[in-house]
Amino acid sequence: MASEHHSDSNDSNPNGNNPDTDFKWDPLRFISKKPDEVLKKVDDRLDALEKEYFSDKKDKEENLPNILGIYGVSRRDFLKWTAFLTSALMLPYIFKPRVARAANILTRTPFIWLDMADCMGNTEGFLRTAHPTPAEIILNYVSVNYMESIMAPAGYQAEARRTETVKKYKGKYILVVEGAIPTGMDGKFLTIGAKGDTGLKIAKETAKHAGVIIAVGNCAAYGGIPAANPNPTSAVGLSSVTDRSVINIPACPANPVNLVGTLVEYILIGKAPQLDSIGRPLWAYSGRLHDNCYRRGHFEAGEYVREWGDEGAKKQYCLYMMGCKGPFTWNNCTIAEYNQDISFPMRAGHGCIGCSQPAFWDRMTPFEKPNADAKIIIPGVEATADEFGVGLFAAAGAGIAAHAIYTGIKKKKEHKKSKNEDSEKNDDNKKE
Amino acid sequence: MQNKNSKYGEIQLVHRMTVIKRIIHWSFFAAIINNIITGFYIAYPFLIFGKTPTQADSLSTGILNSGETYQAFIMTWMREFHFIGAVIIDVIFFVWLYLAFFSWKEPLYKSFIPFGDKLEEAWRMLKHYFTLKDKPKTDRYQDPLNAIIFTLFHLLILLQMLTGFQMYVASFTGTSAVGAWWPWLLHFSTDWTLVVFGGLTGVTLVHLFIMWLIMIFIVYHIYIEVWRSIMWKEGDILIPFGGYKYMRNKSESE
Repeated sequence: MASEHHSDSNDSNPNGNNPDTDFKWDPLRFISKKPDEVLKKVDDRLDALEKEYFSDKKDKEENLPNILGIYGVSRRDFLKWTAFLTSALMLPYIFKPRVARAANILTRTPFIWLDMADCMGNTEGFLRTAHPTPAEIILNYVSVNYMESIMAPAGYQAEARRTETVKKYKGKYILVVEGAIPTGMDGKFLTIGAKGDTGLKIAKETAKHAGVIIAVGNCAAYGGIPAANPNPTSAVGLSSVTDRSVINIPACPANPVNLVGTLVEYILIGKAPQLDSIGRPLWAYSGRLHDNCYRRGHFEAGEYVREWGDEGAKKQYCLYMMGCKGPFTWNNCTIAEYNQDISFPMRAGHGCIGCSQPAFWDRMTPFEKPNADAKIIIPGVEATADEFGVGLFAAAGAGIAAHAIYTGIKKKKEHKKSKNEDSEKNDDNKKE
Repeated sequence: MQNKNSKYGEIQLVHRMTVIKRIIHWSFFAAIINNIITGFYIAYPFLIFGKTPTQADSLSTGILNSGETYQAFIMTWMREFHFIGAVIIDVIFFVWLYLAFFSWKEPLYKSFIPFGDKLEEAWRMLKHYFTLKDKPKTDRYQDPLNAIIFTLFHLLILLQMLTGFQMYVASFTGTSAVGAWWPWLLHFSTDWTLVVFGGLTGVTLVHLFIMWLIMIFIVYHIYIEVWRSIMWKEGDILIPFGGYKYMRNKSESE
């Protein structure tokens, strides 16, 4: 859809202007054309990882029941969730038990979560759910080696933990970065930890040896709110400061399902999922909200909410005229919903604000007015496209009217003059 | 009669627009008017069809009540006609581009060659609009000022096509009924608009704004052709109807 974000995160991007592979979805992830071979490769990978991260068979088998048991999630609930995640990932059904195994392995994979310039809304979104789904539980129990908001060590110890993880699990650990990275003044707008290292330096160093890099939330993916105009700290997304491939999981906050799904897919196949042109996993971000919205029928029927709380709002009419940015936004909110999978903005009666698109704070505002009411960015012009257009139209009309009047007057004058000349001539004739 | 001839000069018939060109001209006109109306509706739905009783209690909120949701689909129709109009405009644009070079009768490029002379002639025409004196001679080819303005207008149409196709391809998911080349072609030719205009919302606003420029062109175009017909007495306004205009070897000011 969009090449608006010219990130350098596209080295694994299959959409390289080729009609054969462009927009082609391969459920087998281009691993192999033969399904049996794909399954064998995935199984071999899972076996190896299980051997590495679990001490014995008992450890492996009791790990997940222990974790899920704390929250009263039964085995049955978990299996239902794996079925959901398998279909969300657009994987064939045969992958369901493998998704369960990958989720198990995921809880033991070394994991670094960096917090950069943001509100930590993603952390909050994942960790503070009242009735967590397996996705959130798994995120709670991943073996976090470094995560500022929940780790026990502090100061130099914390720093040491991070550098140690980077050294010990070179090329294996999962790096999740949350928050934009200020690059102004050598990144000094953001300093973290006892040594006062800049966020820029930490992000670069940690990203260098990571197995997979995920930018979660709009801030980490595209700069988000810290990078909104005028962007005083020159904040950018993670993909702009590292030359490695970054998987963007934007949204504000990102849906836990999208993060866990991406991690599970990484565990399964060992590489980044198929990404769109702005670095988002295709399985989650290939659908436009407007096209998948349950209110779309009312859009087509011309039935719109005109003001908050009117009859249309009660009847769940389309929020297009209340500024819904669903037509400009790609995400799977309408399918894998938020808040323990129960809702998303349109269901709650408010339009989408486009939080999974680059620069949404600048481009999607005003949030509660139709896009046609947005101010256009022309230097010295503070108006909507229509206001400016009407202004120009009126100016052109006035110019045309002025020209018409001018022509009329001038013509009349000339007419008079020529008439005078004619009559003079006539006079001459008479004289002769 | 002798007297008249000496006042208005010799009148000569000039063939300017072939039947094909006249059909193109008026289809273009109809399609653009259609797309302005439907486009306005899409940008800002100004009528509420199939509204609820409370929404219908004032005339300003709606005119038609078509009852059930499934019976209305007014936005669907507006978009459908917008797309049909767009297809007509696209085809006409490419036909225009072809005829601009390969027309037998009146290829537009002739109005640009030699460029320096024609530019100077366009400047003289512009001066003529304001002084009403020294009308440059117009013959069987488009006069250079009009040629420049028409070219700019078609560039606006091109930009409108590109931004429009970018919004159109946004609703594609993966492939299309005619094959993968179609969305690929649209992405290939229009994705740059996202970078230049700042995302899909920016593209939408540009699309909306160019509509105003096109409307300004329409008003200008009608005005100047009527003006010419009145001032020059060469029947310029007849060109898109009959295909002919007249040419006089003597102009008013002489």
